[in-house]
Amino acid sequence: MSKFKLYRQEEPADPQRQFVVATVIILLIFFSLAGRFWYLQIAKAAHFKQLSEHNRIRSLTIPPARGVIFDRQGTILVNSRPSFNLYVIPDDVQNWDDLKTQLGKLLNLEPDQVEDRLATKKAWPFYPIPIKSNLSQDELGLIESFKYLMPGVYVEVSPQRNYPIGPVAPHVIGYLGEITLKQIKSGQFSENKMGDFIGQWGLEKQWQTDLGGKKGGRFIEVNVVGREIQELGFRDSIPGNNLVTTLDWDLQKVAQEALSKKPGAVVVLKPTTGEILAMYSSPAFDPSSFTRKLSPREWNALFSDPLKPFQNRAIQGQYPPGSTYKMVTALGGLEEKVITPETKFYCNGAFPFGNRVFHCWRKGGHGMVDLHKAIVQSCDVYFYNVGNRLGVDRLARYAQLFGLGRPTEIALYPEKGGLIPTSAWKLQRYKTAWHPGETLSLAIGQGYNLTTPLQMAVLTATIANGGTIYKPFLVKKLVSPQGTVIKDVQPEVVGRLSVNPEHLRLIQQAMAGVVNEEGGTGGAARLPGIIAAGKTGTAQVVSLGQRGGRDHAWFVAFAPLESPQLATTILMEHGGHGGDAAAPVARKIFEAYFHLPPRGSAPISKQAGPDSTDEE
Amino acid sequence: MIDRKFFQNIDWPLVLLVFFLIVIGVVNLYSATYQVEEEKGGTIYLKQIYWAAFGFFLILIILFFDYHLLLPIAYPLYWVSISLLLGVLFFGRSISGSQRWLALGSFSFQPSELVKIALILALAKYFFINEFNRRYSFRDLYIPAGMVLLPALLIMKQPDLGTALLLLFLGLSIFLFIGIEWKTLVVSLGGSALLLPLSWFLLKDYQKKRLLIFIQPESDPLGAGYHIIQSKIAVGSGAFWGKGFLKGTQGQLRFLPEQHTDFAFSVLSEEWGFVGSLVVVTLFLLLILSALNIARQSKDRFGLILALGIGALFFWQSLVNLGMVVGLVPVVGVPLPFISYGGSSIIACLIGIGLLLNIHMRRFIIQS
Repeated sequence: MSKFKLYRQEEPADPQRQFVVATVIILLIFFSLAGRFWYLQIAKAAHFKQLSEHNRIRSLTIPPARGVIFDRQGTILVNSRPSFNLYVIPDDVQNWDDLKTQLGKLLNLEPDQVEDRLATKKAWPFYPIPIKSNLSQDELGLIESFKYLMPGVYVEVSPQRNYPIGPVAPHVIGYLGEITLKQIKSGQFSENKMGDFIGQWGLEKQWQTDLGGKKGGRFIEVNVVGREIQELGFRDSIPGNNLVTTLDWDLQKVAQEALSKKPGAVVVLKPTTGEILAMYSSPAFDPSSFTRKLSPREWNALFSDPLKPFQNRAIQGQYPPGSTYKMVTALGGLEEKVITPETKFYCNGAFPFGNRVFHCWRKGGHGMVDLHKAIVQSCDVYFYNVGNRLGVDRLARYAQLFGLGRPTEIALYPEKGGLIPTSAWKLQRYKTAWHPGETLSLAIGQGYNLTTPLQMAVLTATIANGGTIYKPFLVKKLVSPQGTVIKDVQPEVVGRLSVNPEHLRLIQQAMAGVVNEEGGTGGAARLPGIIAAGKTGTAQVVSLGQRGGRDHAWFVAFAPLESPQLATTILMEHGGHGGDAAAPVARKIFEAYFHLPPRGSAPISKQAGPDSTDEE
Repeated sequence: MIDRKFFQNIDWPLVLLVFFLIVIGVVNLYSATYQVEEEKGGTIYLKQIYWAAFGFFLILIILFFDYHLLLPIAYPLYWVSISLLLGVLFFGRSISGSQRWLALGSFSFQPSELVKIALILALAKYFFINEFNRRYSFRDLYIPAGMVLLPALLIMKQPDLGTALLLLFLGLSIFLFIGIEWKTLVVSLGGSALLLPLSWFLLKDYQKKRLLIFIQPESDPLGAGYHIIQSKIAVGSGAFWGKGFLKGTQGQLRFLPEQHTDFAFSVLSEEWGFVGSLVVVTLFLLLILSALNIARQSKDRFGLILALGIGALFFWQSLVNLGMVVGLVPVVGVPLPFISYGGSSIIACLIGIGLLLNIHMRRFIIQS
């Protein structure tokens, strides 16, 4: 075999030789492995024994600063302040009874509270068990001076939510709560451990990953009584990012004061973008009560409140829209050509249909009524006629055009979608055919119809801007702690009404009439120098609850008529008539936004009578 | 079929070796899960016994059939296991962040464990039917290298870096053994050295973290650095004789992470000391050497490569796991055969043992 050939084509490997080589390699590697065991277990045994004996290594978390939440002008809605928390590492404790009495004395804790917390001590002897968070200055001083008597007691600093201007938007911002076992098991919160507080509601929940930041840690060696000897490792925490919301603190505050704890909701948005300037639900809760751990008793008290303070009525409350729905009926009638703007119906206060009589809210009737007057004075008989000509399914189609009957998909949990009934829906749900009389109720916003205040605000904004549906949103920007903009949220168009713009124009004009014309039902929202437009609504409460079953008051409005800047919806549960109860709230919001002088509380037009009611 | 000869031909020392390892493993699992909540931990060592019993039953079945019957189904088996891996990616169950399990009725299994055996079978068949009277060139290795890379990439996506690397090492061992051209060897080793920095970008954040932490464990006191340091403390503090059964403070006080799976050996090392560790390390050494021996005596190239591959699998798996426990290898999450808890792992290992015994039994050309 020539040298050349040997180079080109090497001899196949000789298995016997390969076995020898493999055996030698394996022996060498296992020998070094054994050497490593010798090194750890014999040469360094003393060192590791010492480390393990009292398990001297402690791993402590450095909690990250949670992101700040701002309103649109940069006012801080939520930030964090340091909170001093006391915890115990069970293995370092030398005398449990001593510790319990000491802590009880210093912190005024009931012994069973300490006991409850320490129940886990057997399973996790080296795990810090939180005993009390948010120590006061006095408590902190006491603990620091007596710590040497209580081995195993540690004080840790962690950031805690703080609401510098009070709870102005608790339902939107939400709150933090201790992570649940289910959340840990879901694997979505790999950063977090039991006992951590994470966003459990509202924007705090929705933006948890961004607001949360990253934990840091310290790895320390401690002596027998748990005192730190040296730091073995350190990693700083990374603060969370900040949120700039679309909210306007001033408007939020007006809404809060106007509702003054009566159940209801206010939504204000920019009709040209979908930005939410205010969203308030009443009664509200105080998010600062969640900064500490709540006992089961406290939880129960909060959640069993019949007024449901945790419900965000703006997106979760579903109510019949009442007469605010008449814009939908009107638009449907015009588009389907069952009426023209000039079509007139005679209202004598009653509308006989089948073997029943449907009434107008004004007993004496409105006389001859055209579209404009029907909206301005909220004539029910007119809309009974329109609804009857349209039929349930065509009417539903126009409601759905506006996005009613499904969630607006605002990034806030948990949003309800409301209900827009159709004949098919009824057949499926109740296994009975649609009754034409039910359409009459629907036409004036009663019956099966259900909408959320947010949906009605979007509807109002859509009418105001001439037919563009924007997705409502709450967060404008996500900004890093250094000030870099990470995310800049742009308005999102989710639909456009493909209707005759002239028809929308007529409806806008009529809504302006509601507020500004003699006999209009919404005179209480009239503004000096600015033409506001609106529509009152009174939703009948069918089931007479313990609150006496007064009707729900609605008012939807926008301003100014030409080039609208603001659209708002006010709902007041059991508030009575929309024109009396809800319209003044809209006026206050407009006054605050346009910097107008406040008007006295007396409604300007006494003619604005009570709004529509359904058949009797 | 079951006559005296059948039993005579069984490699009893190997069976005994495996039996010892399993017993040690179960005893250790009992200790490792002793402190864990009753309802969950109490049954882990029992489950391991059931799995082992099932595995021995599989061995019996394997022994009845000549391993050459596997030749025609080696490739189909390979593809079945690849489709199972795909199934994991699409429908898999994820436990603590990685998707490695397929649900099968009430229990779930890890296809990546079975892939190891299927890959060895496929490679053995490939080199059996492609035997040249020369060393293998770069081009000759396209197909077998593809056979290794495909499952390795799929497993990497789960993500399970440890098992993916294991398959690569396994393939490399077989290639090196059967003999490849020097040029090919130099080029491919050089190429991988160049590609290695690139592969950094393919790694998940937590995997990068683990590698970095391996270099500097103190940099991550809460995560993987903690694993390495606590495991070293456990092993080191075991000293010569160990702290005794159920007396290991690191393990019993639950300082150790994954103490019944990847770090099971830390518990053993702490409680049984240098002596115990050395016994188990020696048992593994003997296991690997006897696999090599079976490979050497096998009657044909198929048996040789099959036995060799199984030996290489045990070698790499024990090396990576033990290396991890003593802080010589980054934390990549590879179970220690027979010692770590895990049904799929023990079944795969016992199937491997079954094949070894089978090759050993039929090492003489006399049989039909």
